[in-house]
Amino acid sequence: MSEEAVSGQQRNGRPKTSHHPETDPERKDKNYYGIPPIKHAHWTWQIPIYFWIGGLGAGAHMFSTVAQLLGHEDEALQRASRYTVLVTMILSPILLIWDLGRPERFLNMMRVLKLRSPMSVQSWSLLVFGNLAGLLAARQAAKDGLLGRDNVLARLAVRLIPDRLLSVLALPVGLNVGSNTGNLLSATSVPMWARNWLFMGPVFLASGLSTALSWLSLVLNLTRSGEAKTLRVLHRAERATILVEAVLIVASLARMGRWSKPLFSREVVPLFVGGTLIGAILAPFALLTGRESRGKSIIASLLALVGGLMFRFAMIRGGRISADDPEAYFTFASGESAPQPEDAV
Amino acid sequence: MATGFLTDTTVCIGCKACEVACKQWNQLPADGYEFTGDSYDNTKQLSGSTWRHVAFIENPKKRRLTGDVDLVALAEDVTEQLPGGAELDALGRWAFMSDVCKHCVEAPCQQACPTGSIIRNEFDNVYIQPDICNGCGYCVPACPYGVITQVPEDGRAFKCTLCYDRQRDGLEPACAKACPTNSIMFGDVEDLKELAEQRVAELHNKGYTQAYVYGTPEVGGTGGIGGNHSKFILMDEPETYNLPKHPFLPQEKFRGGVIASAVAATVLGAVVAWAFKD
Repeated sequence: MSEEAVSGQQRNGRPKTSHHPETDPERKDKNYYGIPPIKHAHWTWQIPIYFWIGGLGAGAHMFSTVAQLLGHEDEALQRASRYTVLVTMILSPILLIWDLGRPERFLNMMRVLKLRSPMSVQSWSLLVFGNLAGLLAARQAAKDGLLGRDNVLARLAVRLIPDRLLSVLALPVGLNVGSNTGNLLSATSVPMWARNWLFMGPVFLASGLSTALSWLSLVLNLTRSGEAKTLRVLHRAERATILVEAVLIVASLARMGRWSKPLFSREVVPLFVGGTLIGAILAPFALLTGRESRGKSIIASLLALVGGLMFRFAMIRGGRISADDPEAYFTFASGESAPQPEDAV
Repeated sequence: MATGFLTDTTVCIGCKACEVACKQWNQLPADGYEFTGDSYDNTKQLSGSTWRHVAFIENPKKRRLTGDVDLVALAEDVTEQLPGGAELDALGRWAFMSDVCKHCVEAPCQQACPTGSIIRNEFDNVYIQPDICNGCGYCVPACPYGVITQVPEDGRAFKCTLCYDRQRDGLEPACAKACPTNSIMFGDVEDLKELAEQRVAELHNKGYTQAYVYGTPEVGGTGGIGGNHSKFILMDEPETYNLPKHPFLPQEKFRGGVIASAVAATVLGAVVAWAFKD
């Protein structure tokens, strides 16, 4: 055997692949046969979809509450928002329970309230927000005559449910449902998520609001209802929210640094660059600037909605790749880069 | 009293008796016949059905043998100059390490658990109550050591219980009982810590200056975890054994994230309110 073959040196200038990583001088990273040192989350498609509709519900409630507080009384907007939030808050727990390993034990989530556990905070927020949203939607349904006209129950619902008070009470809880989806990811050992703890909640919240505004304008456009001013406000808010979202995504990428690599991997890049950066940010923003038209608004809404979903899939899939990469985790947990207790905040 | 393990990798012979004893006592299912092709270790990693895992770390040296080689000296890793120009750096080292749940002082899995299924029991061990776990799987990415894992067939998460049932009956855990070289030691955490320091000092005296204790707050326990109740005596960098150098408590940043989100929510609320301005 020649010296070259034994030492695993380069041949013809190219590194010779070695069976034993340790004998390959090209490899600097130490690990155990490339076996991931941490385990990725098992989450299947239900979770990114929940993140999407949860953010949508939170954003819709936020917009309608702000409209209400500013005295902008548009019955069509309130109706669309109330029923949207109700449907998202019915679907969210179904998706989450579906994803459990033991779905029949879902009520154990209500066994304790742990402020240190993002998952526990999320469960309780969903419970509170979902019930308040249910009451608000019930009042809306009574007003719309869906509970029958001239019946005691419907009249009691309209009279007894304090619309404004409940909307304001539900606002912080709802916003927490939207942002906590991001914080829930960052409170793990997965390098890509954990590194971005500062912007994870904000970026999910901004993206959720963007999908909510798109959804509301889509509904109002398709049903040809709502005041002209509502649509104008929705478009304006949507443009501003997309800008905030874009800034937060750039900040996230800067913060993630080398651990953002999974977002640009072959598997995730269509979702992240194609779906998120182009589909949810650039294209809707371009469509919403300039002369407004119904067709353009509908296309922008659809793009932002699909893009928001792709953003969630990109983050979850990227996190899986990040967790499976020993090099990423070991460089992350090597000291300087890992979040340390003395970090500010 | 807090109990824990001390795993001295320097005397581990890689017999995997601990793996077998753990599987037998805890009635864990087989993992199938997998062939890694990497080493003789075909268990690969800890999982919901493997609570002890012996890693086989092959560290072949890079230079080839020259001259008249004394194989006995070679095997004993004698480092002094040998007659006949023999060079001793060829066999390398074949290290073994019996990995197990670290039973962190501030356990990330316990903090992540939304049902309160993961608790600290009376022996101060991190214990999953199987009748409460609903299989949300959030503890899995929280663990900085990749120990706790969901079993797909069962739905729930499992890991080393530190043989809670045996401890209650005054017995030592099955793996420690089965270990033929006393590489796995079980006992009071404070005693084990002292024992570990003694052993490391002894190794240093023998010339193995690379030996150290992993799982103390100083090494491999920073970032809020506060050390481990399962300590290890290691001879190489932690990454060689698939362990992180500085594991951290993921929940440490949750509060910061919530504050950042509240700021973002205020900004977005202001943006929406601005949009209403005529």
